[in-house]
Amino acid sequence: MKNRLRDALKISRADYTEIRLERSWTSAVAFRGHRLEGANASLDAGGFVRCLNKGYGWGVASFTSVDRLSAMVSRAHEMSLAVRLNEPIALAPVPVREDDVRLDLDGDVRGISLEAKKKLLEGLNDLMLGYDRRVVDTQAAYRDEVTEYWFASSDGTLLYELRPEVTLSAVATAREEGGIERALESIGLRRGWNSVQHHEEEFLTAARRAVELLKAPRVRGGRYPVVLDSKLAGVFVHEAFGHLSEADFVYENPQAREMMRLGRRFGSELLTIGDDGSAAGLRGTLPYDDEGTPTQNTTLIQNGVLVGRLHSRETAARMGESATGNARALSFRHAPIVRMTNTYIASGKGTREDLLSGIELGVYACDALGGQTYLEDFSFTAGYGYMIRKGKIAEMVRDVTLAGNLFHTLDGVDAIAGDFHWNQMGGGCGKGFQVPLPVTEGAPHIRIRDVAIGGDAG
Amino acid sequence: MISELLERVHGRTSAADVVLKTDETVSLAFEAGRLKSSSYAQERGVNLRVVVDGRMGFAGSTADDVDALVASAFASASVGEPVVLALPGPEPVPQVLTHYPRAAAASIARLADLGKLVLARLTRDGSQVSVNVERSLGSVRVANSNGADTNYDVSTVSLSAELTRVRGDDVLIVSDHIAGADLPAETELEAMVDWMLQRVDWADRGAEAPSGALPVCFTPSGTSVLLAPLQLAMQGKSVLQGVSPMGDKKGKVVFDSAFTLVDDPLLDGRSGSRPFDDEAVPSRRLPLIDQGRVAGFVYDLETAGRARVAATGHARRSTFGKPQAAYSNLSIAPGALTFPELLAQIRDGLLVDELLGVGQGNVIGGAFSHPVALAYRVINGEVAGRVKDAAVAGTVYELLKRIAGIGKDLRWMGSVGVPAMVLEGVAVTGK
Repeated sequence: MKNRLRDALKISRADYTEIRLERSWTSAVAFRGHRLEGANASLDAGGFVRCLNKGYGWGVASFTSVDRLSAMVSRAHEMSLAVRLNEPIALAPVPVREDDVRLDLDGDVRGISLEAKKKLLEGLNDLMLGYDRRVVDTQAAYRDEVTEYWFASSDGTLLYELRPEVTLSAVATAREEGGIERALESIGLRRGWNSVQHHEEEFLTAARRAVELLKAPRVRGGRYPVVLDSKLAGVFVHEAFGHLSEADFVYENPQAREMMRLGRRFGSELLTIGDDGSAAGLRGTLPYDDEGTPTQNTTLIQNGVLVGRLHSRETAARMGESATGNARALSFRHAPIVRMTNTYIASGKGTREDLLSGIELGVYACDALGGQTYLEDFSFTAGYGYMIRKGKIAEMVRDVTLAGNLFHTLDGVDAIAGDFHWNQMGGGCGKGFQVPLPVTEGAPHIRIRDVAIGGDAG
Repeated sequence: MISELLERVHGRTSAADVVLKTDETVSLAFEAGRLKSSSYAQERGVNLRVVVDGRMGFAGSTADDVDALVASAFASASVGEPVVLALPGPEPVPQVLTHYPRAAAASIARLADLGKLVLARLTRDGSQVSVNVERSLGSVRVANSNGADTNYDVSTVSLSAELTRVRGDDVLIVSDHIAGADLPAETELEAMVDWMLQRVDWADRGAEAPSGALPVCFTPSGTSVLLAPLQLAMQGKSVLQGVSPMGDKKGKVVFDSAFTLVDDPLLDGRSGSRPFDDEAVPSRRLPLIDQGRVAGFVYDLETAGRARVAATGHARRSTFGKPQAAYSNLSIAPGALTFPELLAQIRDGLLVDELLGVGQGNVIGGAFSHPVALAYRVINGEVAGRVKDAAVAGTVYELLKRIAGIGKDLRWMGSVGVPAMVLEGVAVTGK
């Protein structure tokens, strides 16, 4: 395959050419209630070519007919020539590498029968269904993937990677007297079959929480001091801050560039945020990004001051900074764009109880069903929450949505606990139709002074 | 390949069907005011389903390996669920336009001109404009062991535009998109641009958000918060699982009689149009809510078999999954009011164009609470300025019982067509 790539690069007439080829084996099992939705395996294969010429823009060809690779190289070159550009696109230099990286398959999922995968998931699904008669519906899903990946560029980089991935997810729906509540749990790992054993607790948790939520009142809307658990704090840093630190948001926009200028204060001394695509053993970790740039740990906010951002080769060159290994593509169907990998809030000091103490009336918001940002404005839906009364966790509440302005909210972070951990969940990040991209988020408990909580009108 | 696959599984299956989809897409990306990249994408995928000993299996592949695909489908069936599939036979195919030669023949330069026209009209000092133009040419062929073998071609042209204006820490993003099977008419592009600029101009002024139970006008894009729970609730599968609040209400009036929701795959030239679905079931128009009355749910063959009803022709299948019921062209029936007449219904309230977080949380339950991303205060029927730091909340199934007005202009956003609507008693919370 490497020789085919070298040959294809040789015939390219473009100034710069890069090629990715992928071959993915996937299997998936899903239950809905007592019923198996399906258990199946698929094979997906295809390639991506991108060309750049002086005086012209990017030309791209993606394809499933891998036998037509050389025709696709010509097509990408032609597409580039269709785009006249006065300002040339430059690419930041990156080290030229030849590398073979075979990640630990941790029990190669391709050697496990569909029957065994179904049996594993059926056991977990039955735990949810058997938990309580009020659990009326479930969705349990298992998915695995092993991908062979090749990358070659006319700069001389030539990479081969073997990448595993496996996810388990649980959704429990409980119903009683017209009330319907759902709870979710998921696990997503860049590993294999061995790592998805013994996850009974997550499935039971989903069932238990869905039932508990039936009795929980809607949170009373208003402004509260809020403590976020690690999962929600992680999603918060990803959604509300991470996307703004992606350089493709600022590099062609002078006003946005000013808003995100390095050196700007974004929060208190307590706050340090980063993105680490090289962190060992995480779902968002890979040795190289999809432009062949080695991944790295990039500090974005150091003690409250903006010090870095995430780059592709193009955005880095444009801004006179270095490529950070954050150009990622969902698959061969897509061009690499600036994306996060494993995004974190660095650990602080103390425990969750330290954060709760001193809060007369507040909300402890846990887990995230989702989040959306409108640049500086964000909204998150917590999976569940509790009222904080006199420094202690009190009754459970449901429909906890948090909304606010990023700058005010980061400024309002007034305590960060020392209980950091990575949350390896399923799902993934979405940007420009490329979803779900495997990412990880990590954080300790954090406290924010004053957050708008939606719910029943206050 | 299709015939070969069906022959290979013949005699070993009680039923089988195959769908083959091909697609070639050209897309042009204008970033920050200039054409930046042009892309070509080619895709070919086949999905095979078999029923063996009453159990269903399926498999998909983008690689041309017949043996592997057949083996994979049989492996899936060996652990599959028992099903009752009433595969259609060779049936008359209804007429609908899905492929426009003019769109298929458009050159890259012609497509770029569409983008340039929109770009030129939207470009203003202090704002950035991105435009994407995309033209897809595809084919769908579905065949089964019951003798059905049918196909059609599709063309799709879509154009999306986004305008971003950053002033200090104040950010305004206005976006829009249009899609159809033919090249968009210049008047259609102009209308899209005018509506985008209108929303930009309205945002020049700020306004205080009101608070209370107020009338709210949802723009066509703003109605997504109202449609989200219905899109889940009108799924036959949600009814089967016992999670649809509409499931036990078929034939009953549950909403204002002004409210009609229809799925219609037989509209000429819309992006969800098709003569038959991905299981070869002929398409037909399906009222879901008819003048406030629950009229129907969408089913594919599998869920129809389970519910003991006829399939409605709503199966969609990707290369890799099994068929799932999905809407084709889903629309809310327009009313009689012009946009100014709609606003005139509001003495003090909001115009909501975009909310944050729609689709998160317990969507099918119908309760929502979202901060606004783009909304305006309306006073005495006039837009008074953009409001920030406001949130709207309510329960969709309750709000749709009393509709103050529905606009007469249906806006198609992709395969969803909606008018603007005014609803009363929406909980609005200001800062």
